[in-house]
Amino acid sequence: MAFSTVIMSSPHAYIPKTASSPTIRRRVRCSSASVSTQFDLRTYWTALIKEIDQKLDDAVPVLYPQRIYEAMRYSLLAKGAKRAPPVMCVAACELFGGDRAAAFPTACALEMVHAASLVHDDLPCMDDSQSRRGQPSNHTVFGVDMAILAGDALFPLGFRHIVTNTPTNLVPESRLLRVITEIARAVGSTGMAAGQFLDLDDEKKFGEMGRCSAVCGGLLGGASDDEIQRLRKYGQAVGILYQMVDDILEAKTETDKKKGKSYVSVYGVEKAMEVAEDLRAQAKKELDGLEKYGDKVLPLYHFVDYAVDRGLVLGSNSFDN
Amino acid sequence: MNLNRYSLLVKRQTRPADPLPPCRRRELVGGNEAMAIPMACAIEMIHTMSLIHDDLPCMDNDDLRRGKPTNHKAFGEDTAVLAGDALISLAFEHVAAKTRNVDPHRVLQAIVELGLAVGSEGLVAGQINRRLMQMREKVSLEELEYIHVHKTSKLLEAAVVCGAIIGGGDGIEVERLRKFARCIGLLFQVVDDILDVTKSSEELGKTAGKDLASDKATYPRLMGLERAKEFAGELAAKAVEELRHFDALRVVPLYHLADYIASRQN
Repeated sequence: MAFSTVIMSSPHAYIPKTASSPTIRRRVRCSSASVSTQFDLRTYWTALIKEIDQKLDDAVPVLYPQRIYEAMRYSLLAKGAKRAPPVMCVAACELFGGDRAAAFPTACALEMVHAASLVHDDLPCMDDSQSRRGQPSNHTVFGVDMAILAGDALFPLGFRHIVTNTPTNLVPESRLLRVITEIARAVGSTGMAAGQFLDLDDEKKFGEMGRCSAVCGGLLGGASDDEIQRLRKYGQAVGILYQMVDDILEAKTETDKKKGKSYVSVYGVEKAMEVAEDLRAQAKKELDGLEKYGDKVLPLYHFVDYAVDRGLVLGSNSFDN
Repeated sequence: MNLNRYSLLVKRQTRPADPLPPCRRRELVGGNEAMAIPMACAIEMIHTMSLIHDDLPCMDNDDLRRGKPTNHKAFGEDTAVLAGDALISLAFEHVAAKTRNVDPHRVLQAIVELGLAVGSEGLVAGQINRRLMQMREKVSLEELEYIHVHKTSKLLEAAVVCGAIIGGGDGIEVERLRKFARCIGLLFQVVDDILDVTKSSEELGKTAGKDLASDKATYPRLMGLERAKEFAGELAAKAVEELRHFDALRVVPLYHLADYIASRQN
């Protein structure tokens, strides 16, 4: 049974009861009790998705040779995409008073590298997935060779896009270099590629993406090094949390198991739910130090609860979409 | 990752000079070698990545590369895909994080050039068209040139141009070097096609005779072996013409590079 209700009315959060197993209720004290709970994450997120989708559409026009651009666009512009990395990036940027115009190119780039890694993950020699984001996977439509090349093209496009589209009056160039470094590291052999290699579907990969998205947003918004550190831990916790909750949901509904190890498959649902609560607390704790930014912290704060509660209907419920 | 190092460090058979061009460009326009090393390494990583992915079963399906089993033969297809992905990212990370004493603006411009060379306007476009052309009976010289410009020239162009940018070259100098690189990039491929007709696997370090066996469009096939050799000569001359505008001493390594590419045996 899926988690069915949004528990957002209290800072003392707990995972709601499910039909098939006893509830694990743990009262989590969040010192962010002063944070307003009136924020409407759904409206915020939906509006941002629209903007990001438009920018992604503009970023990858169909040129010659057409087929590769069609393959790139197919995965990048999939309707089922939730755009969690770009939304997190924009929210983190605005948290520090940054203009979202500074964040959009990087937000798009995050989505490009995310899409690229998913296209490659789905290949027959990897996870051999037939579908992704509510549509047939890239290689089943375009062929394995085109799918590999589409991924290969999306990675460098992301980096180029950041440089050619970020207004330099909003972001110092030395900061842009740090953003590029951050994304490259997240994707590369210390990050997502390594996660796939080690067959960890969740922790490594989505922790990396979450961390990277939050940190990039902070860099673009002018966060201090200490604040970046907080975002790093926040992003990692939220990324892992999203995936862990996905795995818990999957285990409960007994749908087709994904290939590869996950915390749930190793330690079981109940233990995973405890860990999810710990992660939720951890993520919020990192935001505690950012109280001075007042309401600007709300999007990031509410992401955490959304990761667990999934009461909002934004499409399918995976961070990896 | 061991598998990255495997591909990167295997003795080069076909392009030993590759890491040098960016450095030389750098010095040519007034920079020093140290500034260009990260970029030079990045170019090599990208080149290696493209070879790893090109060799995959679903692509060119090659068993041998640089004298050794291809990456996927040694480590498996899944690992080879990931190794390539990791190398692309590492290349950009390396340039962004390790380039020292260069204005960030120039590093960013170099990153844009690198991105253009690697992606759908560069290597990827070349590989796609090559695969599409393989399925066709007739390929024109223009189409063949498109493939080679994008598969080979663009990366060499990026190496040269990025070196010049990092070294402090002005717009005109960068464009002259871009033209130089385009010529030697195409020259490289023409010579490659000629060698495939005339040499054995052992000498080449990769599977020879594949072009003929597979009916692939090549310069010798399209224009005849003699004309292909003449064309190679014309390209070399054009390349060298661009170098006339630079300091005679500093440009010597580039002359030698053009000469090497024109007259190499493997």
